[in-house]
Amino acid sequence: MKTVIDAHNISKTFNPETIPVLAVDKVHLHLERGEFTALVGPSGSGKTTLLNLIGGLDKPDTGNILINGVDITLLSANALIDFRLHNIGFVFQSFNLIPVLTAKENVELIMQLQHSKRASIEKRVRALFQEIGLEDKMQTRPAQLSGGQQQRVAVARALAPKPQFVLADEPTANLDSKSAANLLDIMAKLNQEENITFIFSTHDARVIERARRVITLVDGQIHADTAHVETNVAHEGFSTNK
Amino acid sequence: MFAGIFVLGLYEGMIRARVRTVIDTEVAHIQIHHPNFKDDYDPAFTIAGQAQVSGALRTVKDIKAVAYRSMTQGMLATATGSAGVQINGIIPDEENAVSSMKKKIIEGDELDLKKKNGILIGKKLADKMKLSIGNKLVLTFTDRENNITAGAFKVAGIYQTSNSPLDERNVFVNRATLNSYLLIGEACHEIAILLVNDTAVEGVKQSLQQRFPAYSIQTWRENSPETDLMVSTINQYSSIIIVIIMIALAFGIVNTMLMSVLERTREIGMLTALGMNRVKVFVLVLAETVILTLVGVPLGLLSAWITILYFSTAGIDISSFAGAAMSGFGFGSIIYPEFPIASLQTVMIIVVSTALISSLFPSMKAIKLQPADALRQ
Repeated sequence: MKTVIDAHNISKTFNPETIPVLAVDKVHLHLERGEFTALVGPSGSGKTTLLNLIGGLDKPDTGNILINGVDITLLSANALIDFRLHNIGFVFQSFNLIPVLTAKENVELIMQLQHSKRASIEKRVRALFQEIGLEDKMQTRPAQLSGGQQQRVAVARALAPKPQFVLADEPTANLDSKSAANLLDIMAKLNQEENITFIFSTHDARVIERARRVITLVDGQIHADTAHVETNVAHEGFSTNK
Repeated sequence: MFAGIFVLGLYEGMIRARVRTVIDTEVAHIQIHHPNFKDDYDPAFTIAGQAQVSGALRTVKDIKAVAYRSMTQGMLATATGSAGVQINGIIPDEENAVSSMKKKIIEGDELDLKKKNGILIGKKLADKMKLSIGNKLVLTFTDRENNITAGAFKVAGIYQTSNSPLDERNVFVNRATLNSYLLIGEACHEIAILLVNDTAVEGVKQSLQQRFPAYSIQTWRENSPETDLMVSTINQYSSIIIVIIMIALAFGIVNTMLMSVLERTREIGMLTALGMNRVKVFVLVLAETVILTLVGVPLGLLSAWITILYFSTAGIDISSFAGAAMSGFGFGSIIYPEFPIASLQTVMIIVVSTALISSLFPSMKAIKLQPADALRQ
């Protein structure tokens, strides 16, 4: 299996000058292509911070993060933006679609930033909308879509530039159970059929159940990892929606 | 844009109205005097070759009307007080043609050639001296031989112009009457010439000066230097007005665009997270300002044009709160704004430049947003 993410000894402290909060504490993480991984843990355990560090949205205070062999902690701000554009897909908890653009335009935007050709954008976007089952909603603006539909569009947007992996921060938190299940079906299918790597931060037991690997964070440290120990960590030390 | 154009239109309208008043009702286009007359208004300095000048003026096609005036400085006295005045001897028909005297009379009648001792006084002087139609007064002055002389006059009419200091200082009597007191016969001290159009002033002056080098021939710019100063500094005043408006505009744009950036912090953070580079974010905010400006400038221009078009005929009456102050400076209390075509290009360039410069700060703010922080908001 090909290594996608290799993080060594990464730490992140917020407000180091005033009231220091150690959000991620000497974490080592190794993820391979095609994994369907859930980062779980109680609120404040460092899930979102770890995702931000892996995604290059934030810089660690210590340690290295290698994505496909490239140490992103050494990249300049501009190089990091470019790296994210071509290698990392993001799905946010509150969808974050641009309200004035249609669903199709939201997905196209990322490929336009990559300077993809018009024809290939059209082809890719149509295929993605077919994949997420929203072909008939391509010209609809986000406000006219349900929460579940918006999150599916967000998944299509994350996948449009053919990233190395997709980071999803609490993707089902704002969805009803039917929409959440539908979204998980789509992501699981993409993972299995197209070998796309997904990493979620989540509280949602439904996501944890579907994950093939579950990493539990407590106080910024990896408390358990089913890649190393086959235990059901979903019920260990924190509550879920289950 | 609207404010800039409208304020400039108001200013230009005021200046043009003042110039028109100066030419059409006060000093005419050109005046001819004895070269020493204006030093101390000595009645002895009459225009000697008046008939010769008069004949020559009839041959100039650019001349619309001519008035021959005699004048002196004197004291106006009533039973209750006195005031220093300039006494102007006029022929009513000539004065109506050159300075629209009849139109200025608000009470009583114009001078009657048959009533030798009629006098026209300004509204401000009438109020100050508590004079009304039919009241008697005495004018005291010196004749051409420096003897003090006096004459009794009866108020025939009260006039009012947009220049209250002028109204307070000038009284008008029949020229023949004044001349008889001054002992100057049929002579005059001033020839006021009104031209067909303003552009001919310098040409007519040059030609008259060549023919009558012994006389002092001055244009309205020389006879009303304060108005000339006002006209020649219109660009500087306009620049000051534009700078003040642009400062307000800059604050407005910075505020609007900063709010726009702050309201879309998450959106900008998301775009940066997904891979939109800083140059594109910068251009995004800048482009929004440009679009707002491109929409705003024509709209501002159009609304300013419509507003000015309306008020250029209807006028803006400020008499209720600033009439006296405006009159004190020689301005009318009704302003007729004029579309400032000459300043239009400059204003547009300055507005667009100010908009772009003002958007730099919000644009810089946008590119400094950290995606992780922005997404947390």
